[in-house]
Amino acid sequence: MAAPQPSTPRRTRIRGWVGDIRLLALATSLAVTASAGLVQSKAKSKADPTFAKDVAPLVTKKCLTCHKGKGSPAGIDLSKFKTQTDAQKDTATWERVATAVSTGIMPPKGSPTLTKAQRDAIKSWVDKLVSSDCRLADPGKVTIRRLNREEYNNTVRDLLGLDVRPADDFPSDDVGNGFDNIGDVLSISPLLMEKYLGAAEQLSKAAIKLPVENQALYQAEEYGTGRGEYAALTTRGEVAFIHDFKPGIYRIKVRAFEDHAGPENSKMLVSVNGEPVQEFQVTARRTAPTLYEMPYRAQFGKWKVSVEFLNDFYQPNNPPANRDRNLWIDYIEIVGPIGGNAGLPESHRRIIPSDPPAGKEREFAQRYLRAFATRAYRRPVSSEELERLMAVFDLAKKYKEPFERGMQLGVQAVLVSPNFLFRAEIDPKVNPGAARSLNGYELATRLSYFLWSSMQDARLMMLAGDGSLAKPEILKSEVRRMLRDKKAVALADNFAEQWLTLRKLEIIVPDPQRFPDFNAELKAAMKEETKRFFTYVVANDRSILDFLDGKYTFLNGTLAKHYGIANVQGSEFRKVSLEGTQRAGVLTQGSILTVTSNPTRTSPTKRGRWVLEQILGTPPPPPPPGADVFATDGKVASAVTLREKMLFHRQKPECATCHQKMDPLGFGLENFDAVGAWRTKDGDAPIDASGELPTGEKFAGPTQLRNLLLKDKHQFVHAFSEKMLTYALGRGLAPADRCHVDTITKQVEKSKYTFSSLIESIVMSDPFRKRRTS
Amino acid sequence: MNKVIDRRTFLRGVGTTMALPLLEGMLPMGALAQSASKASKPIRMACIFVPNGLSMAEWRPAAEGANYALPNLLQPLQSIRSEFSILSGLSQDNAAALGDGPGDHARSTACWLTGVHPRKTAGADIKNGISVDQVAAQKIGSATPFASLELGCERGAMAGDCDSGYSCAYSSNVSWRSESNPVAKEVNPRLVFERLFGSGDKAGEAQSRARRDLFNQSILDMVMEDASRLRSRLGKKDQGKLDEYFQGVRDIEQRIVKMENLGKQMALAESKKPTGIPPDYGEHIRLMGDMMVLAFQADLTRICTFMFANDGSNRSFGFIGVPEGHHDMSHHGGEAAKLEKKRKIDQFQIEQLAYILRRLKETKEGDSNLLDNSLILFGAGISDGNRHNHDDLPVLLAGKAGGTFRTGRHIVYQNHTPLNNLFLSMLDRMGVRLETLGNSTGKLNQLF
Repeated sequence: MAAPQPSTPRRTRIRGWVGDIRLLALATSLAVTASAGLVQSKAKSKADPTFAKDVAPLVTKKCLTCHKGKGSPAGIDLSKFKTQTDAQKDTATWERVATAVSTGIMPPKGSPTLTKAQRDAIKSWVDKLVSSDCRLADPGKVTIRRLNREEYNNTVRDLLGLDVRPADDFPSDDVGNGFDNIGDVLSISPLLMEKYLGAAEQLSKAAIKLPVENQALYQAEEYGTGRGEYAALTTRGEVAFIHDFKPGIYRIKVRAFEDHAGPENSKMLVSVNGEPVQEFQVTARRTAPTLYEMPYRAQFGKWKVSVEFLNDFYQPNNPPANRDRNLWIDYIEIVGPIGGNAGLPESHRRIIPSDPPAGKEREFAQRYLRAFATRAYRRPVSSEELERLMAVFDLAKKYKEPFERGMQLGVQAVLVSPNFLFRAEIDPKVNPGAARSLNGYELATRLSYFLWSSMQDARLMMLAGDGSLAKPEILKSEVRRMLRDKKAVALADNFAEQWLTLRKLEIIVPDPQRFPDFNAELKAAMKEETKRFFTYVVANDRSILDFLDGKYTFLNGTLAKHYGIANVQGSEFRKVSLEGTQRAGVLTQGSILTVTSNPTRTSPTKRGRWVLEQILGTPPPPPPPGADVFATDGKVASAVTLREKMLFHRQKPECATCHQKMDPLGFGLENFDAVGAWRTKDGDAPIDASGELPTGEKFAGPTQLRNLLLKDKHQFVHAFSEKMLTYALGRGLAPADRCHVDTITKQVEKSKYTFSSLIESIVMSDPFRKRRTS
Repeated sequence: MNKVIDRRTFLRGVGTTMALPLLEGMLPMGALAQSASKASKPIRMACIFVPNGLSMAEWRPAAEGANYALPNLLQPLQSIRSEFSILSGLSQDNAAALGDGPGDHARSTACWLTGVHPRKTAGADIKNGISVDQVAAQKIGSATPFASLELGCERGAMAGDCDSGYSCAYSSNVSWRSESNPVAKEVNPRLVFERLFGSGDKAGEAQSRARRDLFNQSILDMVMEDASRLRSRLGKKDQGKLDEYFQGVRDIEQRIVKMENLGKQMALAESKKPTGIPPDYGEHIRLMGDMMVLAFQADLTRICTFMFANDGSNRSFGFIGVPEGHHDMSHHGGEAAKLEKKRKIDQFQIEQLAYILRRLKETKEGDSNLLDNSLILFGAGISDGNRHNHDDLPVLLAGKAGGTFRTGRHIVYQNHTPLNNLFLSMLDRMGVRLETLGNSTGKLNQLF
């Protein structure tokens, strides 16, 4: 079982060190506490601040007036810390304190102030308190992860070679820590289990074809004028439907009979795609319907198959038995293409490379089910597991069904097995609680689901099998190879969509009255822009700072028009320079500006919060209960501009602390309306895109805002590394991960901020390559 | 020849204006037919959830008792006002912060049917209680092919931590089968239909269906072996995940057996089934409501939860003149314009409820109707969207539980009476006798 954990809820711990309230920690909070730095600072420590001497007196004098006892502001009760030992038990709280103090947020205006030296003393004491030695840090334990929907789709695509997305019909995956690949929250409901079983059956049948398959039965009464179980053609009607033909020879069979009347039998014409195939004289009567068969050579395509009645006869004066000639159709059966393996899909041959020699079916099955299960389970299969699969395969024979049916059942069983649906890392039963390196297959699996959201390919399996993947040079070169692979687009599909909250675009509906230009096409273009931008950074190994201020983007005609950028026409996306515009990076892309707006107007607060949370990794705490009540104040309603209304946020201290961080950031983007179009006026009022941060720094407009963010790029890189590490591991980060994030951040900063340096640092880190055993 | 064809032929004749044809008279076998002819009819139970609270001033009747004036918001229910009661004063006090700070949307959704204060976490260590529908499902669900049905009109969250440090698992699920295992909901009416009735096996394939079931059984047996081997090699937390897997497999195994018993009525699949999620939100809700009614009618399940939307939903209601987001309007701050918009949204939701209740009522069951044999709870985990309070919740209880509950009244309980007390009473009618449930303090009086 897990090593003892502090009893604080994990969320508090994580948030704590990520820093609920660490904001644009401009310049002041740049102190880096990576392990390397730690060793040095220890060596030259002369008069390190201590709790008793330096911190406690300040806390008593400056903080305890408010932060004391139950119900303390922001939940920070400092009265419980009497000694250094107390502080060590809850480092998360102290990190929040350090951030608040070093950035000037605390103490608030009107309260006792702290000198620069006092702030520095608290900060450096906390830095020491929370820093730990990376070499000793707990690599953490990832909860067993089931495939999420995207991973399932990608995995069956790569495993079977089928172009299908069965998981689109699965229930949503729950999201934790900002991502939907977190083992702790990925659960299995009975509904999902049913979907797994159903999808596995359909996939196995799509992948492997039975020898005499391709038999389709069309009940005639559904495709013509039905009378009970038959279609009745009484005048000149037809029975017609569309059949999906593959190239090859078919047999078409029609079961029919006639009501005989007049001098001749009913004439029945069978046509495909309007061209006659064969005409029949139907002599069979109701008591004995007969099959009328014909061969047909088909071209590829969906063609209309029709059965017509050509010679109606009706003589009301005749005796009933000879009065009315009608043609009755029971069903039409289409069999084909017949013979040979030409029609076999690639997926079939991928699992069963050749037909089994007679009498050797079982050996054959064993061999190829082992190969298939090895790929599906992402590791070698035990003989027990294989035996169980063979028992399923044997069912087919028992029920006199063909070899291929047995293989279908085997494949279906593999796809429902927990060994496929879960990515398990099984610890040897020695040294519980100790860290261990992942084995080759586990490492390969983590790597491929991190970068491709899918199973490993043959090369990774080979490197996993011979143990060489654990070698740093090989691991690094594999990372570079994988990032260049097309499948790395999964990082945009999954990581970027969630990091940048792009999936919210699906549910956002801007007011069509105010934003008539916003439609499905524009929405799709917005999403495409951001994903192409992200993919470009990945594929070209650009600096991750491009996300902040890359002066280029990807546009098609629709989006360029929306942005007011000339000379981009047509539906094709292309790279477009943004030099000379106010746009750069992701922050000014339509997708993000739209998801951070209300349906009828912009929301500087939401935009500011988005920057704090997604870009800087310092989400503000949510508003206190009843936060909106002051809006009833008539003054708010009568305020003219949005900015004036927002100023009311500052009137209440419990609102001001956060809004003085959020709102200015959002105001910097006010030149972009609620769907990301450029504007200079809001109604009749000119846009004022200026802002002032709590630190006193002023700016106006998106470009200056970006420059401020760039000034603190360390904060961005750190936050981005945290998010990427969370995604890579599939678990929330814990305090012990801090030193690893610091190290990763440092390495990225040393490597010109390249995307690959980030991925490489994460892959090489202990949390990624090791785990704490159960 | 095969009689399935006759049924198909019949269905083709049914008008297409109704989302689905009624099934009465076409179910010659199965529990419904039996139960309708016998004295004891099964009681069905549904819990219908709406997000962001309701306009309480327009919801709560002024007078108590039977002769209350129907408040503005409830006007769409005028024609069936004798079929339900409004219950005031019921509360889920465990949805309050209790020291956990903000996150009311997620917390109250998770708490609504559990009465439990969910653990605040963005991911690890999810912990809530078992919801009332699942308590019932675990006791009486084995009587029907589906122990319970979970429906919704919004998928789980798209991104981010859903509400102030709470995992999205909390804000998108009202139904919880264990402390850590929310029950996922289906949002696509077509997929609900296919789940209930199969995806359209052709006539004459009954034999191959039986064969298929047999194969599936064997496969499930095999993977259960895989799972128990795997489980024995995992740590405790991972074992919990495997337990969810076991439960899922067992559920299916039981269902395969019951589906066999129900036999051919499943071949209904060729009737007019929904084609997907309709773009119109109201139609989407009504179609899902149809699915619920159908499942109850065919006695495929007796327990259902239905979330019109996830809490905190900021859906725009431009089609009724409210282009702003629902959540934004629920924080009306007392502003008249916003209050009016929130009222419009709420009225729209009540109209959809009215449709569902009428469908239940129109569905004959023996000499009574489906609504009479049901208990339909409608409400929200938040009372006033602006205040985020969880006391005096909006609670409407429709249906007479087989004639044992008296409807048509406004019953006022002392504020802070646990909503779980109502659940105890509902469970009792479902045949699940419990003395306590979470924070309950006894069964609710005055319902009879």
